[in-house]
Amino acid sequence: MGIILEVKNLTKKYGGLTAVNDFSFEIKRGEFIGLIGPNGAGKTTVFNLISGFDKPSSGSIRFDGMDITGSKPYKIVNKGLARTFQLVRSFKYLTLLENISVPSQSHRGKEASKGVGIDAYASSILASVGLVDKARIPPVVLPHGDLRKLQIGKALGTNPELLLLDEPFSGLSHEESQNLTDLILKLHDDGLTIFMTGHVLRELMSLVPRVIAMHQGKFIIDGTPQEVANNKIVLEAYLGGGDSFA
Amino acid sequence: MLKKEFQEKFTGFPNYLKSWVKTFTGGLTLFVLLSLLILPFLSQNQNFTHVFLRQFTLAMIFAIFAASWDLLTGISGQISFGHAIFFGIAGYICAYLISYQHYPIWVALIIGALGAVLFGLIIGIPCLRLKGPYLALGTLAFSLVLLKLFLMGSLADIFFGSEGISALPKISDDPVVEYLSLLILMIITFITIIQISKSKFGTILKSIRDDETGADASGINTTRFKVYAFMLSALFAGIAGSCYALFATSVNPTGNFGAVISFYAILMASLGGLTTIRGSALGAFFFVFLEYSLIIAGAELYVNLIFALILILVVRFSEHGILKPILERIKDVWDVLLGR
Repeated sequence: MGIILEVKNLTKKYGGLTAVNDFSFEIKRGEFIGLIGPNGAGKTTVFNLISGFDKPSSGSIRFDGMDITGSKPYKIVNKGLARTFQLVRSFKYLTLLENISVPSQSHRGKEASKGVGIDAYASSILASVGLVDKARIPPVVLPHGDLRKLQIGKALGTNPELLLLDEPFSGLSHEESQNLTDLILKLHDDGLTIFMTGHVLRELMSLVPRVIAMHQGKFIIDGTPQEVANNKIVLEAYLGGGDSFA
Repeated sequence: MLKKEFQEKFTGFPNYLKSWVKTFTGGLTLFVLLSLLILPFLSQNQNFTHVFLRQFTLAMIFAIFAASWDLLTGISGQISFGHAIFFGIAGYICAYLISYQHYPIWVALIIGALGAVLFGLIIGIPCLRLKGPYLALGTLAFSLVLLKLFLMGSLADIFFGSEGISALPKISDDPVVEYLSLLILMIITFITIIQISKSKFGTILKSIRDDETGADASGINTTRFKVYAFMLSALFAGIAGSCYALFATSVNPTGNFGAVISFYAILMASLGGLTTIRGSALGAFFFVFLEYSLIIAGAELYVNLIFALILILVVRFSEHGILKPILERIKDVWDVLLGR
């Protein structure tokens, strides 16, 4: 049960704007953690810095003991850290099966699919996210909930140990949210470490045992949903910022 | 694992071929190929073999060139406005090896193509940082630089100046043999590029086209695959370029490196239909014969103008090219004829 992700003094400045300010935290293997903060708090920036899509101004990021600060995204993915995006993205002109076959051809994906072949491996991942009956369909015709599941499927294709989910519930109907919740819980039960962002506290409260809260790029508190919900600064950040957290 | 897959494909091939021919596009393609095969033998007339037939040969050279562009832009999403680079460099290398080093024709042809692959690597690497229209401009800039370099009188000792190299042999003095050689090269090129497109590797190229960030996030080294795409595209463009040098029996800067050649590739592939690959052949044949007709009609001056207008019309009204709509019309007629 070691530490799988260690972030120390992470800082990102864009000219005069400090988007992430001296942010530090640790995640242990097998945990299920939420990252909350009002819109603009810097959650996606933190994700981008960890996953290599942006370079930190200072600070360090260690994954599974390895320094990944400033590494290229595909290299980080091949160490076992995968992510989804807030704005759903897919390979529009490929079928769902082909969408999954792409990450299946990453180094990690190829390792994981060695025994069964890429098509079988990709199929099984589609099955695990509940999309196997749409394998030959392109993403264009799918509803939003399915696209979110596809994104998770693509991340799973790289056989990750840590999965970063960026606002996975945004834009979903109640039923789709429930569906997605079941999937995420199942993935966690199967041993995946999950780090998830959201800006509505209620969604996360019932799901995660531990929450990290941030505001204006800074760390506020790390604790149980109860502790975080009752924290003064968190309350001010949400209520003061005009965002409902109810 | 790979060996087993290959064995399965190999033994399944005859059945695959049979079922392919039965499909509409398969049957039509076979019909077209067989017609092209019989064509040279339809007449012994000198004008037919030495002039008319050679237009088909030229069309096949450009079909290979256009298909190479479609592989890079349509399949891999890397927009090239400088494809003349690969076309020209292969032609020059081929010409040089034959004229000055007395290499056999086919060896020079292949080395010319390999030279183009090297340029694919050289140009791919710096251009990879650029995306979309900037990549297009980058490749265009490279091709113009190369054109200037070859045109410079002061460098004529190395690059042969504006006169280039002439008095090259043809692939064969018999235009029928020349035609059939190109037909075989064209068929091999198209089968190869289509198979690349359908393969797992091709799926990666398409993913980079559709969403490069997503491909990065899927653990793919997109830079490496983009270089592969450049090199593969350059290979086929180089084969076309070498063949063209031998077809025209000479190379010179404007004729082989001119920016308009890059536009021809874009024109022919887009006309046929981006990503279809087969459309490149349709576009090339259409282009070559339209030009031929205009020249015969004495309207040579208007060739480029008319092509530009056609491209604008295609982009405006049939932005996915004309291959699919045409195939659909033919299929409809075929169905009517068969009473369906």
